[in-house]
Amino acid sequence: MQEPEIQGMSYDDVYLGMKERNVKGSADKLTAAHVTIAGAGGLGSNIAIALTRIGIGHLTLVDFDTVELSNLNRQQFKLSQVDMPKVVALKQNLQEFNPFVEIKIHQVKVTHDNVKELFADADIITEAFDNPAAKAMLLDAASEFYPDKPIVMGTGMAGVHSSNTITTKHPRENLYIAGDGESMGAEGLMAPRVMIAAGHEANMITRLILGDTEI
Amino acid sequence: MVMVNGEQESGVIGQTIAEFLKQRNAPIDNIVVEQNGTIVHRSEFDTTKIGENDKLELISFVGGG
Repeated sequence: MQEPEIQGMSYDDVYLGMKERNVKGSADKLTAAHVTIAGAGGLGSNIAIALTRIGIGHLTLVDFDTVELSNLNRQQFKLSQVDMPKVVALKQNLQEFNPFVEIKIHQVKVTHDNVKELFADADIITEAFDNPAAKAMLLDAASEFYPDKPIVMGTGMAGVHSSNTITTKHPRENLYIAGDGESMGAEGLMAPRVMIAAGHEANMITRLILGDTEI
Repeated sequence: MVMVNGEQESGVIGQTIAEFLKQRNAPIDNIVVEQNGTIVHRSEFDTTKIGENDKLELISFVGGG
């Protein structure tokens, strides 16, 4: 019987080799984890890539939107993916980075009415919206339906202000908020600073998966 | 005495959360309100009143992502 291959390499070599530089002892917890990301834009696409690269087991992506040219200055899509649903395009890209992640996608708008269903199988709820009312809605609904699940959010990552004003805060149990808390999207959003906030969210998620609830 | 985000606030006892946010010209859709450690759901903004010794935390969000 022929062994399965990936890019001409053995399945086992790829699987183990990709985890070689991960933190020791992290593999089993990462493989078991299920993170659901609401929003597949500047925050969501970057968070998803980070979690995919380190070998998270299960990822669910939720976004109603399609890829536009104006997204490409910060969101992890390609010119060839313009007009595609973001969740479809992102899943394609993630699978090229790491084929071992189980990725579910939902091309829907998140509303108070579907939060219960969309996040039922999530261990950690990730907010990665652009719209501030959507951010508030998700925290409100998550605290109603899933008060015991951690929710990791972002607010304030616009402009070219100092990187060092972006922090992770822990204002109440199970709530983590990354960002500077004040810079608004209207002043412009660019990859470097959005990626800092996405990195904060992704690292907090990773810490939670590995059992650390402190910021 | 009512505390809002750690600061004393007077003249708000008896107001509903909706009235309180409106008076402050706060962007109501972008805010989550915690009253004495419990999140007040949006559907309860019109009926939840601020009481003596309440501690309110306003968790505000700005756009961008």
